[in-house]
Parts: sequence; structure tokens; C-alpha cells
Amino acid sequence: MNEEELLQRAVEEREKLFKRYEQGRDGGAEIDPWEDPGFEVYHTTDRYGFIHDQRLPTKIDIHEAKKLQIEVERQKKWIKMLKNWGSPGVSPEKLHSRVYKGIPDSLRSIVWCKLLNVEESKNSNAGIYTNMYQLARQYSTDARQIDSDVNRQFREHLHYRERYSIKQQQLFNVLTSYAMYNSEVGYCQGMSGLAGVLLMYMNEEDAFWALHILLTDPKYAMHGYYKEGFPKLTRFLAHHDKILTKFLPKLKKHFDKNGLDAMLYSLKWFFICFVERVPFNLCLRVWDIYLLDGERIITAMAYTILKLHKRNLLRLNDMDAIVNFIQVKLHKDFLIEDDIVIQNLEKSIEELKRAKLYTPSPPQKDEIPSRPFGVFKKPTLDKIVGIRTDKFSEKERQTNQLVVLTSDIARDNAEKDETYECQTNDSVGHTGSKFSFEQSNDDTSSLLDCEHLGSRRSLADTSVTSTADLSVFSTITRSQAHENSLDTHSNLSDNSVGGASSIGSGICTTSSHRVFSAHTTPRASSYKQSPDVLRIYVPYSPLDTPVASPHNGDLQQSIPCLFNDNKVRIKIDNDELPTPLIEHGQIKSFNVDTELDLK
Amino acid sequence: MEHTEPHSTEPEMANRQGAAQRPNGAQGKICQFKLVLLGESAVGKSSLVLRFVKGQFHEYQESTIGAAFLTQTVCLDDTTVKFEIWDTAGQERYHSLAPMYYRGAQAAIVVYDITNQDTFGRAKTWVKELQRQASPTIVIALAGNKQDLANKRMVEYEEAQTYAEENGLLFMETSAKTALNVNDIFLAIAKKLPKYDQNQGQSGQGQGRRLAEGDQGAKTPGNCCK
Repeated sequence: MNEEELLQRAVEEREKLFKRYEQGRDGGAEIDPWEDPGFEVYHTTDRYGFIHDQRLPTKIDIHEAKKLQIEVERQKKWIKMLKNWGSPGVSPEKLHSRVYKGIPDSLRSIVWCKLLNVEESKNSNAGIYTNMYQLARQYSTDARQIDSDVNRQFREHLHYRERYSIKQQQLFNVLTSYAMYNSEVGYCQGMSGLAGVLLMYMNEEDAFWALHILLTDPKYAMHGYYKEGFPKLTRFLAHHDKILTKFLPKLKKHFDKNGLDAMLYSLKWFFICFVERVPFNLCLRVWDIYLLDGERIITAMAYTILKLHKRNLLRLNDMDAIVNFIQVKLHKDFLIEDDIVIQNLEKSIEELKRAKLYTPSPPQKDEIPSRPFGVFKKPTLDKIVGIRTDKFSEKERQTNQLVVLTSDIARDNAEKDETYECQTNDSVGHTGSKFSFEQSNDDTSSLLDCEHLGSRRSLADTSVTSTADLSVFSTITRSQAHENSLDTHSNLSDNSVGGASSIGSGICTTSSHRVFSAHTTPRASSYKQSPDVLRIYVPYSPLDTPVASPHNGDLQQSIPCLFNDNKVRIKIDNDELPTPLIEHGQIKSFNVDTELDLK
Repeated sequence: MEHTEPHSTEPEMANRQGAAQRPNGAQGKICQFKLVLLGESAVGKSSLVLRFVKGQFHEYQESTIGAAFLTQTVCLDDTTVKFEIWDTAGQERYHSLAPMYYRGAQAAIVVYDITNQDTFGRAKTWVKELQRQASPTIVIALAGNKQDLANKRMVEYEEAQTYAEENGLLFMETSAKTALNVNDIFLAIAKKLPKYDQNQGQSGQGQGRRLAEGDQGAKTPGNCCK
């Protein structure tokens, strides 16, 4: 095809696509049978051909009813608050506490618009949306991609279910128009999810402006996520990794060991604020908070998810299973009550604030919109006919290198760890004395870990206590453990460090169950047949600094090699041989330079 | 909306935990390969993987952001082949992330949609990029997907076949929806991949890295293990 023909074809295609959405479902819309689902809300067919009835329960359960009742009560308060919106009567504290409790669904439309200040943008830009739509109608180069994404976005939702339904039309319009308005971003996959959610609560034009605010208001600044080269993504991923290294070092290692880069499991967390990654009800709660507090919520929530499910994740020993758990399982069922998740999110925020990790590093220049909005620039021929550039732009090349580098570093670290670490995995064994004293949040932060406590006690009950001050563990109660799991800076860690300091060392122990489950990766240990092993780390530190205290996982992060070099392993034959026995010990002095380098 | 048909050409699938746990697992070799799917947006990359790995099909498969990762194991005579499948996003914007996924891949399936000529052109571009950038020994398969929509065909079978032959690619027309040729294309790739037995000095081959026992291998896509 020559240039002219290609152009002609592109024009025809665009015309055809826009016409379809304009026309909607009326007037003999051309819809392939597969594009329009039959009304199968109540039925699913399994692979053998059996049809399963999945009706919602006819009775609302008591718990659910109670929640609805509370929501009705809250609604009244919200209506009152909305009347005084912007007045001193509505204190930020009150708004904060109410938003964190969840905005009543019937008021989300109004409240979201207020939180985003949609009205102001809309009024000061009257007529622009229509103009952008007209421009898109004539020049859009993104219509094909947007069309194919509209055709698969939220298709199980009543409003998006039918091909060319009103909401599908609106979604197409908002996205094509926005691609004209913000030509630097244009359309990037992911944005259909964002606009799709907004359109569930807003009309077309409001959703357009809400989308614009999410992308360009510094509070949310999603422009940098979607822009060529994803500059904000790389910055936030780095921040996310930092948080993991600090607060969940064991999990981070576990991920590294399995070759799992955050890039692989977290893109929808960052790009569309957890849409399709957590159940929709929880997603809305996070959106409420995101709209109130902005971008920092995303990394805090990312941390919270991993923290809450740490135990489950550590049990999974391949990348496939981990990714499946994070992306698919948690989307179907988060396993934890929404309110509890949000409470934990608040705790996470506090933790991150204390560690000065709540706010990521400031945005780079290239994340901020540089082109004026709504200024029309005629697309190039390549763009119109859809020819891809062969080469990366400078920014894309940088991103690519950065991404590759990050995964290489993670891999190298994992390999190093494997050399030094022998039994990381075993501490997350399955039943009985599965146990770890490691004083990072890794061990105090899993809500779901009920067995954990029992094993703590059981081990503390053995005579191992004679070698280390474990009294704090033996007297711990379930509720305290729970408390600790919610507040990782509480007495558990502090006490243990205090106790340990009497012998001049931090304590870090790991035990494994005697019966090795088939699930445990054999590779993880060269001590396959050994009975329970208690490892005590004795960081030999000539520096009189808190660096030796492993209570928050800092140590492993900053001087990983040192840490491993200084471990003493004590083997315990749990029942028969109560006296600890030193099996193996290596205490080497460490190189201060190494520490400085790593820091 | 989920359609599942019985597999028409189902090969022997090992269970998802892998053959390592089968009683006779010790007899055969287990080889692990990294495979990447590339191609234009909405040609059916994720659907092919979903069909192959889970035997399912979703009409409205959600768009892949970044990449997805799945594994599936197939049995081939005395060898168990474990595929680590990297399913990438099709939109050009995400192209800059793709090399991260095809780096070190031993196999690739480049997918196009037989009802859309442009996607075939894009597939050719991907093949070129792989030939230029990926490992020289990479096994590339070309999949003309959506064969169930053959009445809307825009890319002739012969055209694609000729192209594939010229470039030394495996080629099949597939349908993730009806399961046509889906397992077959993966099996064909498995057959074409070099399989070294660790016991017979695989490490001496100097290709890839030997996998330690039980290694996930995701980070070290060696040619073979055990």
C-alpha cells in the first residue's frame, strides 16, 4: 500500500470506530456475537461443560446487614458535612477519619468530585471537552487501541456489559478526547481502568476532568506513570523496594530468590490504584483514601498488602504461585476484612512516616507535563497509519536499562544470599515449631499468622531460653501478638533487643520443623535432614552503634555480608535433647569499608 | 464470561506442581525453558497462554499491563519440559519493557491476528527485533491466532507460511477460543528446543546455567536441569 492508501485506510478506520460509538446499540449496530455477552450473570460453565448456578444469597447475612445499617447512619453525617463543605466546620481531621471509614457508596459520586475539585476544572475550562471530542473525531490516532480496550474493560459490570452501551460510549469518548487534550501521554493501556472506575461514579465530562486531575495535579501526578518510558513508575518501584528492604527484608529476599521483580506484580497497583488486583469493595475504599491523601497512599497500600499476606507469600516457592496469589487470588478474595485492611494501612502510614519513607523522592523533571494541554498538533504520518518507531527514545532506553539493572541487582543479591543463607525458607515451615525470632517486621507483622504464636511459645518453653532472653516471647499473648502485628515498633522488638543487649548482641533465630514438608524447597537448605535448628546471630560490631541491632531488619539491608558472617548456629533436638549444642560457628571481623559501600 | 471446551488435542500434561513430584519423575529429564509471547495489542497473546496453561478462554481477557508470568509443564517422551511463560503487553508504550522479558528467553511465540493485516506486519517487526537482539539460538514460532474467525481472514495462510519458512520459524494458525493448535504449538517448540541432561554433563555445554536441584530457575533460565 502506498502512503495515500494507508492514510485513506486510517481515516476510514477512525471514521468507522467513532461512528459505531456514536450510534451506540440502536439502529442495527454491527456487533459480532462474541462481543455481546448473553445475560449470564448467574451462571458459569466449567471446563467439563457443567453449568454452575452462582446466585447471590437470598438473605443478607447479619454481618452484612449491620454494615449496611452503619453506612446509612454515616450517610446522614456525610450529608450534613457536605452542606458545610469547605467551611471551618469540617475539620481536616474529621474528614480524614470519615474518609478512612469509607465514603457511603450513594455519596461517592459527589464526594469524589469534591475531593478532586472537578467542578472548578470543569467550569474554568467550559467547552473544552466538546472541542477535544471534535478534534479526536477528526484526528485521533489512538482510537483503535482505545476501542480494543473498551471492548474488554469491566465487561462483567452491568454498565459495560453490552457492546456500545452508554458507558462504553462514554469510556471511548473520554479516552479519545483526553488523548487529544494531553498529547504527551495520549492513551496508555491502564487508563481505561482509571476512566472506567471514574465513569461508574461520574458523568462523561466530569470523568474527563477527574482523569485530568489524577494525571496532572501534583497530589496524584499519574502523568508520569503513563508517559513514554514510565519515569514515575521506576521512581515508585525503587521506593517500594526500599520499603520492602527496610520493613520486610525476608520477603524481599524471598522475592529476589524467586526472580520476582516488583515490576511484575505491582503494575496495576501503581497504574490504576489496585483496580483488578483487590476486590472492588476494598478497591473503592483505597480510592477514597487515595483521592483524599494522594500518591503516597499507593506505596503505603502496596506495603500493607505484602505485610498482611507475608506469611502466605513466604510459603509459596515459585514465581508463578506468588504472582498468581498477588494478582489473581487477592483480587477474588483478599482474605481480610476491609476495615482491618484500612486500619493496617493507617498503621503502615505511621510506620513509614516514622522511618521517613512515607514520601518518595521528589519527581524528576521528565515526569511533569511539559506540553501545554489542549493545543492541537497534527499527528505525523507514522502515527496516523500506525507505524511503530524502530528505535527507543532516549527516555525509553534509559528506562529499559534501569529495569534490567534493577533485576540484575536483585538476582545478584539473591545469589549472594543463597551462598550465605541456608535456611531462610525453613522459618516459614508449616506447622508446629515453625518460628522465627528475627526482629524485622517480617516476623511481627503478619496478621494471618496464628500458628506463629503457638510455635513461639513452644520454643520458648524449651530450655533454649537459657541461652537467650526469650522471656518476652514466652509470656506474649495472642492479643499482644496481634497488637505487635499492627504496630511493629512496639515493645516486642524493643524488649528483645534490650534483653539481648545484655549479652552484647542482637538475636536472630530461625527454626525449622523436623518434618520437612514436600513444599519446602530442598535447595533452601543444605541441612536437609537436620532437626530443629536455632540460629543465633551474633553481630560482632566494633562500632558502638545501633547497627548491631537487627530489630527492624536494617542490618541485613545495610551490611548483608557482615550479618551472615557472624552467625552462630545452635542445633536443638527439640524434645530429646533440651541442651543447646553449638554445631557451627563463625565469627569474623568485618570490613568497615564494606558497610560504608553498601550504605 | 468464560468458555471452556474440551481439549481437542490435549497432550499429556504434567500436574502443575511439576514432574518432580511424580513417582516416576526420577526416570526422565526435566528441562526448563523461558518462553516469551510478543505481538500487537489484542491479538490474543494472553488468551493463548490462558488456554495452554489453564484450558480456559475469556472473551474479554483483561489487557496485560507490563507483563504476566505463568508456567506450564508438558511431557515429551522421556522428558518433562517446563515452560516459564512471559506474556507481554502489546501496546507500543510498553515496548521499552519488553527486552527485560525476552532477555535470556530460549523460545518466543510471535502472535498476530489473522483478521488484521497490520498485526502481521507488526509480527514481522518483532521477529526482526528478536533476530537482532535476543539470543541467537532462540526458537521462534509464529502464531496466526483467531483462526475461529477465518471467515474474516485478512492474512492468507500461505503468505504467513512462506514468511515463516524464509525466516526459519515454526508456524501454526491457532485459536485460543477453540483450542486449535494451542498445545501443539507449544509442543512443537518443546520438540525443537535442545534438551541436555544434566547427568550427561550439561554444564559442559557452556550454554545457559546449570540449575541447582529445586532451583526455580526463573532468574537463571538454564537450558536444562536434573
